[in-house]
Amino acid sequence: MGGLASYFIRRFLLIIPTFLGITILVFCILQIVPGGPLEQEIMKLKAGMAQMGGSAEVGGGASGSELGQITIPAEAMEEMKKFYNMDKPIPIRYAIWLWNVLHLDLGHSYVYAEPVWDVIKARFPISIYFGLIGMIATYSICIPLGVFKAVKHGSKFDLLSSVTVFIGYSTPGWLAGLVLLVLLGGGSFWDVFPLGEFRSENWYDLSWWGKIVDQVHHTILPVFAYLVGSFAVLTIMMKNSLIENIGQDYVRTAFAKGLPEKRVIFVHALRNSLIPLSTGIGHIINVIFAGSMLIERTFNIHGMGLLAYNSILNRDYPITLGFLAIGAVLGLLGNILSDIAYALIDPRIRFK
Amino acid sequence: MSENTTPTGYKSVSLFRKRLKRFRSIKRGYYSFIIIVIAYIISFLAPLLMNNKALLVSYNGRLHFPVFKYYPGSYFGQDIYGEANYRTLKQQFKAAEQSNWVLMPPYPYSPYESLTDPRGSPPNPPSWQHWFGTDDRGRDVFVRLVYGFNISLSFSLILITCGYVIGISVGAALGYFGGKFDIIAQRFIEIWSSMPHLYTIIIVSSIIRPNFTLLVILLTLWGWISMTYFIRGEFYREKAKDYVHAAISMGASDRKIVFKHILPNSLTPVITFAPFAIVGGISALVGLDYLGFGLPPPTPSWGELINQGVNNIFSWWLVLSPFSAMFCTLLLVVFVGEAVRQAFDPREFSRLR
Repeated sequence: MGGLASYFIRRFLLIIPTFLGITILVFCILQIVPGGPLEQEIMKLKAGMAQMGGSAEVGGGASGSELGQITIPAEAMEEMKKFYNMDKPIPIRYAIWLWNVLHLDLGHSYVYAEPVWDVIKARFPISIYFGLIGMIATYSICIPLGVFKAVKHGSKFDLLSSVTVFIGYSTPGWLAGLVLLVLLGGGSFWDVFPLGEFRSENWYDLSWWGKIVDQVHHTILPVFAYLVGSFAVLTIMMKNSLIENIGQDYVRTAFAKGLPEKRVIFVHALRNSLIPLSTGIGHIINVIFAGSMLIERTFNIHGMGLLAYNSILNRDYPITLGFLAIGAVLGLLGNILSDIAYALIDPRIRFK
Repeated sequence: MSENTTPTGYKSVSLFRKRLKRFRSIKRGYYSFIIIVIAYIISFLAPLLMNNKALLVSYNGRLHFPVFKYYPGSYFGQDIYGEANYRTLKQQFKAAEQSNWVLMPPYPYSPYESLTDPRGSPPNPPSWQHWFGTDDRGRDVFVRLVYGFNISLSFSLILITCGYVIGISVGAALGYFGGKFDIIAQRFIEIWSSMPHLYTIIIVSSIIRPNFTLLVILLTLWGWISMTYFIRGEFYREKAKDYVHAAISMGASDRKIVFKHILPNSLTPVITFAPFAIVGGISALVGLDYLGFGLPPPTPSWGELINQGVNNIFSWWLVLSPFSAMFCTLLLVVFVGEAVRQAFDPREFSRLR
């Protein structure tokens, strides 16, 4: 057990350099490039001053002059720089940001004028909702299908269901969702499902039954997109894993001692063949967190993925960085979680 | 005894030949491979097949090749600025009933021109002139799909080549030299690979509008990692085998052992994963283009068309046609991949009862 403990301690310690590496990299990129929040604020201010015409502060002459000729008073400039911490060199700015993050303060969003943490927290349940249901749907379809394909390897059912696997391999999940949205979203064809969003606008006015129906109505297509996204890989993984185990010596032994086939396959072989799938547990966190950007954008679901996407478009750096920081930590924790699950389920695994 | 026969009299066939033969015998994968290769080669000829520039113009007894050379409209007596409009020129010549004639490409529209001939405001639905309709700037969707096919596949091929070169080099070095170098580099790779790469790529490309090369570099930054693991493992395994020991005892140099002995024997994962890497590359490009962080406009791109489709949900052809193109392409590549995997790594499943 000593080896295992030290392995996980080392893994936890590795979070620190990884976290520093990724945040420093992105922080520097965001600070160095033009078009940041300060520049945008200056542009806005200049535009505002130009509209006001020849007010006292405007140095560049009459109204309608070019924005470039307008100068912003030095004190205002200083104050603005101070507000965005732009008066300090980048390493100091990073140190301040990091210090605040360690105190769970991710700063204020420029767009929402709220603490970043609150903005992210509000979106968190929505992403979890779709991600979790998507995951449950995926596993509860792929595992039985994979098992069935393995048991009936080479049968007609196996060959026919392989068609769906091939389709799954060649369609990104978000695109499958979008195609269904075009076909069933009431655009040019059938009007079966709503055009995305988490729930209807009048959701709070509905009866409790109406609320459920509405929610389910909005859930089916996005969940289908999640399902298609990992359907092929998971099904084939399950099938190959079980087939490999069925060929092992311990299964031969189980048969030899006269156990019924059902028991051998579903108790002995299946349990061992589920081990590789347990690695997916940590991966799920990543899917819920960042992998959903495409699906949330497609269905206009205001979850974390769409928030991060919009923050990049709007140059809302505190949110971009906050999302990155949380995502990096959760992703790393997820990796460790997979390893722990792996070690717990399979006692043969020895980490060094 | 010829050199291809073994002492027992059977013909000796190299392992690679055997695999190639097995691949050919898997019809679905083999034909998919032929189709996709031919389609890719043809897509390079797209400027000759789909263009608004005429292939051949016979004007006053002289032949001109506008595909390769620029002619102003006034040169052919057209009353317009800039380049001649060869579609109208064809009609003008026909109406004039002289010996002048124009040979247009079979599908006479370019991927960059905003068309004005369909009625109504773009995007226009499919018609006989424009098989898959036009996009929101009035450009022909079919032409953009074909040019996009070439770009997507080229992008993906270049991407995996870059990723493989780095991944194989690093993996080979780690596996061959091992020791402390391996341990330290492994830690670094672990850190590097746990960065949320797609998010980082999006952030970077939101700031610096990437071109083709930059996007390949950005995706390669993380794309090399998976191949490194495979090659490192292969090298560790091969290094311990007798033929390598024999080579070492005969005094072969490191370079010779790596490139001549071990590398050719450890390329199986490289070949079997290549088709799936191509699928991954195309999907990544389409995803990035869809989010607006991919290739710069006006590059013909599937993802950009799909993005237009989301914003114009009533224009179904903007989603369904690029989806079909992408689906067919990826399906063919997946078929090839499945056949390659079967040919290179045939797993015989034994089963009692």
